Amino acid sequence: MKTRILGVVALAAIVAATFVALVVVPPDQNQGDAQRIMYPHVASAWLAYLSFGVTALAGIGWLWKRDLRFDAVAVSGAEIGVMFTAFAIWGGMMWGRPVWGVFWQWEDPRLTTTALLLALYVGYLLLRRLTDDPERRATRAAIVGLVAAVDIPIVHFSVEWWRGLHQTATIASPDKVLNPAAPMAFVGTLLGMLAAFTLAWAYLMVRRYQLARRELEREERGRIERIVEARSNPVPSEALR
Amino acid sequence: MTDAGYVIAAYGVILGGLGLYALALWRRLRGAARRDDDAA
Amino acid sequence: MSTLASDTRVALAIARKDALAELRGRHATVSTLFFAAVVLLLFGFALGPDSARLAAAAPGLLWLAVVFAGVLAVNRLHLLETDDGALEQLALYPVARRAIYAGKALAGFAAMLLLGLLVLGAVGVLFAVDIASAWLPLLATVVLGALGVAAVGTFYAGVTVRLRAREVMLPLLMLPVLAPLLLGAVKATSAALAGDPFGELGAWLQLLVAFDVIMVVAGAATYGFLLED
Repeated sequence: MKTRILGVVALAAIVAATFVALVVVPPDQNQGDAQRIMYPHVASAWLAYLSFGVTALAGIGWLWKRDLRFDAVAVSGAEIGVMFTAFAIWGGMMWGRPVWGVFWQWEDPRLTTTALLLALYVGYLLLRRLTDDPERRATRAAIVGLVAAVDIPIVHFSVEWWRGLHQTATIASPDKVLNPAAPMAFVGTLLGMLAAFTLAWAYLMVRRYQLARRELEREERGRIERIVEARSNPVPSEALR
Repeated sequence: MTDAGYVIAAYGVILGGLGLYALALWRRLRGAARRDDDAA
Repeated sequence: MSTLASDTRVALAIARKDALAELRGRHATVSTLFFAAVVLLLFGFALGPDSARLAAAAPGLLWLAVVFAGVLAVNRLHLLETDDGALEQLALYPVARRAIYAGKALAGFAAMLLLGLLVLGAVGVLFAVDIASAWLPLLATVVLGALGVAAVGTFYAGVTVRLRAREVMLPLLMLPVLAPLLLGAVKATSAALAGDPFGELGAWLQLLVAFDVIMVVAGAATYGFLLED
């Protein structure tokens, strides 16, 4: 199957990229080996944003076309996006400890923005989980996903501003600024890791979408069964949806 | 912990997490396929 | 009659209805205000007794109290709708959805403005902060902040109508979205109280305006989808 091939290719790409990032590329002249964490960290962040963009667009697709397949795409994007966001934060913390001396830094706009991103989309997933009716769930999710997506640039902007007005030496400390021994190798490795992660993302998205479709079908079957049952013994229902 | 420790922790969790998620999806899909066969 | 005029009439009518309902059952307003007061008190215990530290933290404490109490207030305002299916009945009327949203957000804004002003006064007293000297920019900040919380709160209250675990989901959804508003409001308040030494007050107020506009538009545009099912 084509998906399986995609999966194998993605796996191979990740293995190759990891090998290059850990073994082939020289360590950073200022940040040392810790800088190697940047590769999966940046890749994860990039894919988190891509995922949430997909979720927002898929939400619009549902609101417009009323086809639940759009919602299946949306939930896939959100779940995978949350995963990559968590990875990005974890990577950021693992990088921060050796380089900054601390796991967390309020002045780093990306770290704080990513944490907020996690909060926004975990909320999205919880909202979905608490809604049983597929159409209502899709609508609620689409709207919340849209507002979350709209909020992200505002968050970025405000946090950058916040940081900009605070001239402290912690981040700008000269001996910790990125200084790759071989700039081209650094960029090349980063792009390679990005490509490998994107392949993995695509594979996971397809699989998650397939799962979502199956679960929709199962829900639909369950609904039909309940209707048939209800016809045989009518009962008033005021269930929370 | 040395720098290498943090690098391993970073890569370990991220790549391991990807693998675990892929595995989880595969199992859930297999379970769903079996249920569909039963239902059919 | 033009659409804008009729929309406005509808919005004002709904705002009046919500505000009157709230005024009659005054308990909710009073308890929300008291909640804010208790929160401020606890901040005092948690961060005090050093008055310099509290004064420095005052802008943050002000807006945290407003936001937390605001979540409660929004929750209460919309509880009225769920309890007797009023929201569904409202949805049956052939009025523009955005007008319904605007009306509810307006009522919410009035509540939040009152809350914000009272908390501002309380913070001035409790944390020895001189509000009078910067009353105009502080007023502007409170107005903009109140509008933002109301816009976002009304929207999420609509989303969580009839949702299980509503009490925790409403804050969980609202608060992350409010982060930039919180940031901007605190920074503006700080700058105002310090006499705006770096000239940043205008920028922060602009951020608040942008946030408010975007959230009101987003809320109005999407509220209709929430009402239709």
